Formats: sequence, structure tokens, C-alpha cells
Amino acid sequence: MNRRTATSEIEARGMRLPRRKGAASMIRELSVTVNGVTHEINTRVNRTLFQLIKEDLHLVGTKDGCRQGVCGSCTVLVEGVPVRSCLTLAVRCEGKHVTTIEGLKENGQLHPLQQAFIDEGAVQCGFCTPGMLISAAAFLRENSNPTEEEVREALIGNLCRCTGYARIVRAVMSLGNENR
Amino acid sequence: MSEAIEKDPRVSLPAFDYRVPQTVDEAIALLGEYGDDAILMAGGLTVMLLLRERLIQPRVVISLSNIGALNGVDVNGDCRIGAMTRHSDIVVSRVLRESVPLLCDACGRVGSPAIRNMGTLGGSVSQGDGASDTAPALLALNAEAVAVGPDGERRIPLSGFFQDVFTTALLDQEILTSLRVPTPAYGTRTKFFKYTCTSAEAFAAVTVAITFVPSEDGSCKDIRIGLGSVAPTPIRATQAEDLLRGQKATPELIAEVAAAAAAATDPPSDGQGSADYRREMTRVWVRRLLEETVIN
Repeated sequence: MNRRTATSEIEARGMRLPRRKGAASMIRELSVTVNGVTHEINTRVNRTLFQLIKEDLHLVGTKDGCRQGVCGSCTVLVEGVPVRSCLTLAVRCEGKHVTTIEGLKENGQLHPLQQAFIDEGAVQCGFCTPGMLISAAAFLRENSNPTEEEVREALIGNLCRCTGYARIVRAVMSLGNENR
Repeated sequence: MSEAIEKDPRVSLPAFDYRVPQTVDEAIALLGEYGDDAILMAGGLTVMLLLRERLIQPRVVISLSNIGALNGVDVNGDCRIGAMTRHSDIVVSRVLRESVPLLCDACGRVGSPAIRNMGTLGGSVSQGDGASDTAPALLALNAEAVAVGPDGERRIPLSGFFQDVFTTALLDQEILTSLRVPTPAYGTRTKFFKYTCTSAEAFAAVTVAITFVPSEDGSCKDIRIGLGSVAPTPIRATQAEDLLRGQKATPELIAEVAAAAAAATDPPSDGQGSADYRREMTRVWVRRLLEETVIN
């Protein structure tokens, strides 16, 4: 018999399942390095990296936007690579290095990208900003002299409802130009 | 405050146990032990969404993250791509860019950078999503899925793999371990386009992937057209292909082929466009891509 994927079960059922009585997740010991500091944390396995960052480590910069991986406001770096903390299990970060927006500073100074966002007025409500900076910082490390189109493509996973993106793109481009 | 957040079903996930097998055989044994109470997790994107929305409630999540055999890309005649290879890895793989640039193009249009860093090719293919960005390219490349179950290994041509809405040919205890892509014939030209109407990282209105092999006289020796987001499953427009195969590609014939490709679709009407619109866009983009392919 063919295995129907989980999603085809949804098509079949079309509704949410009630809570299973008495269910509790197993607990795992976790060692994870966040912004250069290693933490030993006991966590239930059904918790997300986002919950670990906010609830266990009280780092409030990472934002809870859509919980679906679309908006990008939860974006952090794991081993230097941008991922959605809302869709990452905490236990999958065992032994890994995580960088949140709080870890973007260099030697107590704002990251050049953070300064550029200030200089260009690229922040309005600020909700998208941490995720935007994380994504842009990782992008610039891979492409230090991008075209505007490349910047816009790199940030398609970070939604902003305030700025219309123009000043954000300008801020990222301003760092590229310095290398020309 | 945090207690209220904990009880909000959309932050928390339902309870489950978590197993991390080290080998494919261990994973298959776990599937055998737990059956319908277990779900495999590859990149995690799909499973996390389903868990969060309480659309599934497995007792056990079986993570494939530590199975080394599911990683790796090698090109030895054909391309072998481990199922847990992330889309972002495929985009930057030099050996894959040399052999099967069409797949690299397709992987480069999956979601957004963070999504590509998390999602895997095998996880995505085994979903059987009709809106898959990569499946049309894999179909156009004549790829095979390699599945391993209690009875051993099985090769499944992708042309027969996608059977119904989110339903693939994978059996209950099988795990997709790799994708095999034959090296395209010398001189093959490929084109990929994901047409989105809402935003760049959204699902497509239509995705078109074409491989075209020219004969010495410039006519069409072989052609494969993969289409996504315009049917319950990813499809190949085989009747459209048959019109062009062996023929000289005149503008009139290309227009016929494009119309035949559109006729092969059965698009949904949803946020990415109405069925009529997507059928018409299939015709437009197949025509445009074929015209680009045929002109030297």
C-alpha cells in the first residue's frame, strides 16, 4: 500500500486534531552555543529554537511573526547560515553555533550593516529589522559587492510592511560600494 | 504571560518523542515499529508546519539528520544526490552546475534563502507537492528516485512517482534515499522558469522546465517539458513533446506545442491565479522558453 504523505492526510481529514491526553514529550539535554556563549539546557524535544532563544535565554531581538517560515522575522544564523528559528527544533541545534541579532555586534560596536540601517533610515517599526540584518549580513559575507537585483533577491525571505524596502536595499548596497 | 504563550497552539507544538537513527536500516526499523504513529523529518519545514497546525499528531518524529548515507553529491556518469542534500547546497554545487544546471536553477527558486538552507531535495520530492519547483526539472531530466525499504532498494522513475495529490509511489516503510539524474546528452539545452504573480518567494502560477536536444541539422532530437503548479501533481507534457520530437522547430510548431502543453494542465484556482489564467500562462511560458531554446 502506498504511504500517503502527511499532507494528503490533511486533504482527507480537513481538520485539526484534538490534543492527545496524557502526552508529554521526552526531555533532552542540549548543549548549544548562542552568540559565543555555550549553554547547557534541558528541553522537551517539541520546543523550537525560537522558544529556546526567547524563553530560555531571554534574547528578545528575534521576532515571532508568522510561525510559518514566510515572514523572516525569526531568522537567525545556525553555523553561519540563515534559518527560520520558528521551524527549527531546538534539539537539532545540539553542538551548533547560533547567532541572533544580539550577536551581530563586533567588539561591542554595531555591525557596519546596523550602522548603515541607521544612516539610511531603513528602520520604521523595527519588527522586520533583526531578521533583515541577519539575512543581509550572511548575504554580504557571500557576495561583498552585489548588484541591487542581487540584494533584492537575497532579501525575498524577509518581509517588511513599513519601508517599501527602498532604504533597506540602499543600506545594504552602501556597504557594497565601499568595496568597489 | 509565558504560560499563555505555551498554551497557544500556534507557538507550541504537540507532544512527541524524537528519535535520531544513525543508519537507513535503523530508520526503517523505527518506521516498522511505530507505523502510522511515526513521521519522518528531513529538513523539517513541512513536518514543523503540520505539527504546529495540529494537522498531524505522531507519537514519534524520526529525524533523518544524522544518517550520513543520505548526504553527498557525486557525479560519476550519472548524478547521485543524497536525499538530505539541501536546496542551497545544490545551487552552489560546481559539479551539479556543470552536469545538470537545470536542477540548480530550479533549486535556486525554491522559497527564499533561509528556506533553501533548511529544505532538502528528498524531503521535498517525497512530499509529492503539485506546486514543487524542483519536480518539473527532475521530470525534464528523466530523474529516478531511489527508495529503500524492508525488502531492499527500489528505483522509481520520477515519471511514475507522483501519483495523486500529495501522494507518491513510496510505500509505507520506504525511505527516499537519493535522486539519480542521468547526465544529459551532449548539446542539451535547458530552460527553467518559475512564474510567480504575488511575490518572489511564493508558490508559482506555473513552473516550466525544458530539456531540448538538437540534432545536427538543428531540428529537435529530443524534448522534455516538465510543468509544476498546474495540475494535482507535477507533470510532463508528453503529448506536447511528441509534437516536436523529430521535427524542425518553426514558430508555428512551437505555438502548437505550447497549446498542447496548456491543454495537458488541470490547474487549481487559488491565490496564485485562476485555472484559466494558469492554463494560458502555461501556453505563454512554454512558447517563450521554447523560442529561447531553439534560437542558438
